[in-house]
Amino acid sequence: MNKPIQPIAPRVSQYGVDPKFVTKRMSEYPEMVSVMLRDLFDDTPEVIFPSDKGLEAVREAALKALENVDMSMIKPGDSVNVCASHHGFTILGGEPYAVLLKTVRDVIAERTGTEDIRLRAGVGLRFRETEEYMKAFGLDKYYNGKVKGVAPVDEGIPIETEIGTLYGIKAIYDADWIVHVHNSDVREVHFHRQVDRAVKPFGMSYARIETRSTYHQNLGPRAANFTARSIFESDFVQSKFAFTAFLDMSPVGVVGVDADNSLYDLNDRLTVAGCKYYGKIMTLLGEIDECIVGLDFPCPVPYVFAAGVIYANFVGANMDLFDLDNSLSPYTWYTEAFYGKDGKPLVGSIPPVNPAIKMVVHNYAWGGYPSAFFSHHIPTIVVGREQADKFNMDPQNLDYMKHSVISDSLDSAMEYAYKVAKTDKVLIFDGAAGGMNVSESLAKLLIEKAPEVSKRVDEELLPKWLKQRGIDPAAVK
Amino acid sequence: MRLATLKAEIIEEKCIGCRTCEKVCPTLAIKMVDRVAVIDLDKCTGCGNCEQRCPVYAIELKRREEPVKLYVDPSTVDQKEIEKICTKAKFNPEQIICYCTETRAEEVAAAIIKGADTPEKISLATGIRTGCKVECIQPVLRLLEAAGINPERPEGWQWYGKTPTIWDIPEEVKEKYNNRGFYFDKDIELLDKVAETRKKAVEEEKEVI
Repeated sequence: MNKPIQPIAPRVSQYGVDPKFVTKRMSEYPEMVSVMLRDLFDDTPEVIFPSDKGLEAVREAALKALENVDMSMIKPGDSVNVCASHHGFTILGGEPYAVLLKTVRDVIAERTGTEDIRLRAGVGLRFRETEEYMKAFGLDKYYNGKVKGVAPVDEGIPIETEIGTLYGIKAIYDADWIVHVHNSDVREVHFHRQVDRAVKPFGMSYARIETRSTYHQNLGPRAANFTARSIFESDFVQSKFAFTAFLDMSPVGVVGVDADNSLYDLNDRLTVAGCKYYGKIMTLLGEIDECIVGLDFPCPVPYVFAAGVIYANFVGANMDLFDLDNSLSPYTWYTEAFYGKDGKPLVGSIPPVNPAIKMVVHNYAWGGYPSAFFSHHIPTIVVGREQADKFNMDPQNLDYMKHSVISDSLDSAMEYAYKVAKTDKVLIFDGAAGGMNVSESLAKLLIEKAPEVSKRVDEELLPKWLKQRGIDPAAVK
Repeated sequence: MRLATLKAEIIEEKCIGCRTCEKVCPTLAIKMVDRVAVIDLDKCTGCGNCEQRCPVYAIELKRREEPVKLYVDPSTVDQKEIEKICTKAKFNPEQIICYCTETRAEEVAAAIIKGADTPEKISLATGIRTGCKVECIQPVLRLLEAAGINPERPEGWQWYGKTPTIWDIPEEVKEKYNNRGFYFDKDIELLDKVAETRKKAVEEEKEVI
């Protein structure tokens, strides 16, 4: 068995406790080992980051990908908004995404002659998050101060679409051209279901509250994904869209950089790769029969990572989240909405959360995202009163601690978890790159199950998933 | 239901009078007096929108000495009226429409019946729109419309307007994009089923009686 992988370090943020309170990581226990994805699936793609070449490999890949992109529509003196989202900064420490954003700026300036290049970085529900990242990665200086963290409550702009008026954030569109720079990490597959993944920010991090509420309340769990496409298809957005560049992700790291003048062509490529690589690890995680989950990553509760997959996905791993015939995933806001006052589902088709999760040890995770659903449905023990206090001060999480217990230390939390959960299998969401940190008992189970899962995804599930999305893998450019 | 445990406080010497806080406050609790923001604590829910958007970090969230409960008890109004509004808006009355505060459609309907005729008044009564402040404006506008109310927009950026629902999507649009995995009609079936389930249960109960 391999030694545990170094977890992502705690990060200073107003949304989490001071890193000084994170005194021990779950991977430090002697029973923990790591499993590399490459050892589970032999078709795991090669990555350019992490690698010996470091971040230079990302810059080289970006330069190469941008060579084939037409930028002739941008004239000297034109204004260009490079549009970014917070998600990218949570991947592999955030630096690869920051390097991509810097490279895109350099290439636009060099190829078009314009210097009026601004960075507009959207957020989820933590309105200061990208402000923090832009400072931390020096993007404010790189863009000569022309940076702005934008939030869905900022001034809006109406966008006429095929289904009616939706609303974008004015600052996203206040330039002659927009360039969409994102990443292909599947992340919230419980929401987007890998449908138009590459288009999603147009209905989310670049959008006003009215539009985001449309996604999460007005259109239904699968049709919601049309929100972004309807905005992107609008004459207004099409008149400004120049090109797109994506950090091409796999669960083991950055595979490369993809760039295109056609967002839909890029979207199809990323859909195929995302279903294949993330589909395998998610299907494998669904094979876990019982475990204790550790949250140990500088991110809100649902977004902590293991093997490139977020905790919210594991909460739904008892169901095939890529199979669109399943209307609702065990965790998504539509699902959460459909639990009645008695705590029971309003209709029989609401799937339960993953019963394999016997207990959650919340060693380190942030607020800034409504997370009470998780502690309400899964026994949760939070390490440290400081962390509990942080959640109690968070307007989005005033009920999180109502359903959780507090432990003074990680040691006592683990002792309690083992005793109550009656399993020695542990899965740690700590951002370990290239694999995941788990207990030895769980490692053995995953290694045993992986070959069958790989075969099933290749032969049975992947063809079905792509067909559901109208994608012929042979025809993808 | 929302327990407002926090309140916003202005650091006057930092305030530049830009009005951003006033424009994003979901309960209209902030006004400018002599180019300095002033908070009406009776209207402040401690949602943090102002604190998060202030460009000069001139607002802090502090714990309230006494928490304030924001809740409208649905049992205190005519149940048929609640049913009528929720049905018209295509919500199950028990459906959660604010994930931060666990506010259900029936509570917002009850607030409307009791006279809350704008999203701002509804937020102040129930706490909805004061958690993440992002995801729940549309259910509020749908329920107001179902009650026959067309609220006037505030001057700020609190909200711009009601947007389409899945029932509004034209057939030709569905047909054009349906092969891309949007499952429009299947999702309509699901949402209809959720919205109607209580009605059926009530009807069955009536039959038994």
